[in-house]
Amino acid sequence: MTTPGNRGESTSTSHMAEQAQRRAPEAPSQQTSSNDNHALEELRHLIVAPERQGLAEIRDRIDNLERRAEDVSSVVAEAIQMRREQGDDQALTQALGPTIEATLRDSVRERPHVIADALFPVMGPAIRKSIAETLRTMLESFNEALEHSLSWQGIKWRIEAIQTGKPFAEIVLLHSLVYQIEEVFLIHRKSGIVLCNIAAPGIEPMDADMLSGLLSALQQFAQDALRANRDDWLDLFRVGERPTWVEMGPNALVAAVFRGNPPEDFRVRMRNVLEEIHQRYGAALERFDGDVAPFRATECTLAQLLEKRVRQGEQSGKKKPYAVMTVASLILMALLGWGSYVTYRVHQWSAFERTLQQESGIAITSFERDGGEYRIRGFRDPLAPEPAALARQAGVDASRAQFQLAPFYSLDDSFVARRANKLLDPPKTVKLSVKGGVLRAEGAARPDWIERIRDRGPWIPGVRELDLSSLKDAEVVALHRNVAEIEAVKLLFRVGRAELESGQQDELEKTKGTIAAMLGHASRSNQSVVVEVVGHTDTTGMEASNLPLSRQRADQVLQALEHMGIRNSALQPVGVGTSQPLRAEDSDEGRRLNRSVTFRVKVTPVVPAADEKPQ
Amino acid sequence: MLKKKICMIGTNAVGKTSLVRRFVHCAFSETYESNIGVKMEKKVVKVPADEVTLVLWDLYGEDKFQQIQMSYLRGMDGYLLVADSTRRKTYDDALALQEKVTREIGKFPFVFLLNKCDLANQRDIETGAEGALEQRGWQVRQSSAKTGQHVEESFLWLANEMTAK
Repeated sequence: MTTPGNRGESTSTSHMAEQAQRRAPEAPSQQTSSNDNHALEELRHLIVAPERQGLAEIRDRIDNLERRAEDVSSVVAEAIQMRREQGDDQALTQALGPTIEATLRDSVRERPHVIADALFPVMGPAIRKSIAETLRTMLESFNEALEHSLSWQGIKWRIEAIQTGKPFAEIVLLHSLVYQIEEVFLIHRKSGIVLCNIAAPGIEPMDADMLSGLLSALQQFAQDALRANRDDWLDLFRVGERPTWVEMGPNALVAAVFRGNPPEDFRVRMRNVLEEIHQRYGAALERFDGDVAPFRATECTLAQLLEKRVRQGEQSGKKKPYAVMTVASLILMALLGWGSYVTYRVHQWSAFERTLQQESGIAITSFERDGGEYRIRGFRDPLAPEPAALARQAGVDASRAQFQLAPFYSLDDSFVARRANKLLDPPKTVKLSVKGGVLRAEGAARPDWIERIRDRGPWIPGVRELDLSSLKDAEVVALHRNVAEIEAVKLLFRVGRAELESGQQDELEKTKGTIAAMLGHASRSNQSVVVEVVGHTDTTGMEASNLPLSRQRADQVLQALEHMGIRNSALQPVGVGTSQPLRAEDSDEGRRLNRSVTFRVKVTPVVPAADEKPQ
Repeated sequence: MLKKKICMIGTNAVGKTSLVRRFVHCAFSETYESNIGVKMEKKVVKVPADEVTLVLWDLYGEDKFQQIQMSYLRGMDGYLLVADSTRRKTYDDALALQEKVTREIGKFPFVFLLNKCDLANQRDIETGAEGALEQRGWQVRQSSAKTGQHVEESFLWLANEMTAK
């Protein structure tokens, strides 16, 4: 509380000055006092002005957002560094983590290429390393399996695998493995929830949540049932051939499922990993509320525990299994030989199938292999080759083939021709051919065979039409041949006489044989034949005596023929004298040839009598 | 990805295992199966924010194991308290268990299921009992593992409640 006369210590100087100013007009007589006040004001200004100015500046820096940001920006890097140096980077990480995560998420969503570009230099090598590691592991397993499968021991293990019904790989593993850590789990101690788990390559992972829950329950059961200390825990449990080691930390436990016998110092490594995780994720483990995402990063740490150790002897004892390799080579060669033989046989059967398909008298509808037998179905023309014979020609075992071929008529021209030859049995003078279903007969045949082809030809399967334009009657052909022979004959006579020259008797007898044959052909081919026996003379002497001489010569020959058995009705004597000379008589030889008898044959078809009806 | 531990609490033969089987496998078995101490099941469900893996601890109901059961409850995020609506004693036991859980383990989201409601004509709990409990802020549902009534809904309510924290 203040009064004008009694100003308390708490009264501010500015307030005093104001009061002094207000009091000045009320007491003009007090000039001295006024001067004092002025001096006081000056003094006050001198003392507090810099302070007031400083305060105003500070207030401005606090109130002005821009200036405040400027101030903080100048120290923020140093502040973060200082905090890290103080060793409390966990709190800093927690504070900055969500913001950095959100920023990263937004950046990836809105400008993915920026992050992609930034990660590019590290992603490639990381991916390559991962792939290389996977390939190396695969190759290692493959080499191991190959080595074992070619050794005597490998064969024993294979027998064991067959006897026990276990996969070969498992048997190899059981014999050659010292130990393998197959799966590692990081489990939240209180809730039993699995935070992270990792399995070795090729190992089918277990249901991590189920296993961790059970493990946690077992821990609690064991501790309760045995009234154990909190620091004592169930550090081993075994189900089948895969025991599990457990290392317990304050807030989390690490469990490793393995095969074989890991060394005791593996537990030390488990503990080291657990400690590392507690060190880095201590706060997150304590505050765990079900979100396991932050613990994904522990995968790399846990992966250090996925160890595998193979028996030294198995790795160093690289004895070359020469004997086994030789046997294996022989087996391989035998297999190759057998394979080649099988391939050859298959090829032969394929060739046989092609042969059957190309055979025009055989139509294949199915060619099936049934075990070692072949079942062949289809159709076969009776004139086609026997399929068993074709099989033998193709070099395949016909006894392994079962033919089910129904008979059919092939309409192929060659088959129709063969069928026609078989059915018509043509004489050697006839050639049968088929083209486009037209059966053509060429040559000469007896009338009865010609009648046969006319009757049966059109009924032969595959024959559409007959062509007999080139088929002649054999009797007619022979008849005309005889006619030509007879008309070429010249029987020579002595000068001025109706007597044959010596040696002409043989020619006459030969001519008689030809005439007899001609008459036979004429009779069989329904032809009527008249043979004119023509007598000639040379031009010497009188024509009045030459004409009768020529007739005498014709009669002489006619009588001789009659005498030799030729019927008279077929012969007709004619004397032409010198009117039809055979040669010009400019020499003795020409005159000699004109002293002769020649023959002219007239062939005419026999016209059936009016009352004779055709059969 | 969230993971939550849920316990099934209740005395013997109230239907805890059947409820879990109905929820996880959508099946009900008439045959009764005893279990040894605890049995694990899990199911992934969707809540508005995320997917949650529910690891279900199906605790054995025999009284002689009660002491041990309490240790199984540690680390849980919620539970289903189950009573057989046809046996009055199981209802009283459930109320006692609830008190014990709250006292020894702490307060967690839970749903009180009066199970076997398909046997309505054999109900052995007085009408209005649910109302009285609901006034205390409890979630009470009449459920049936046989028909599936209120089973999935109860688990999903619990999943939402646990993740909403």
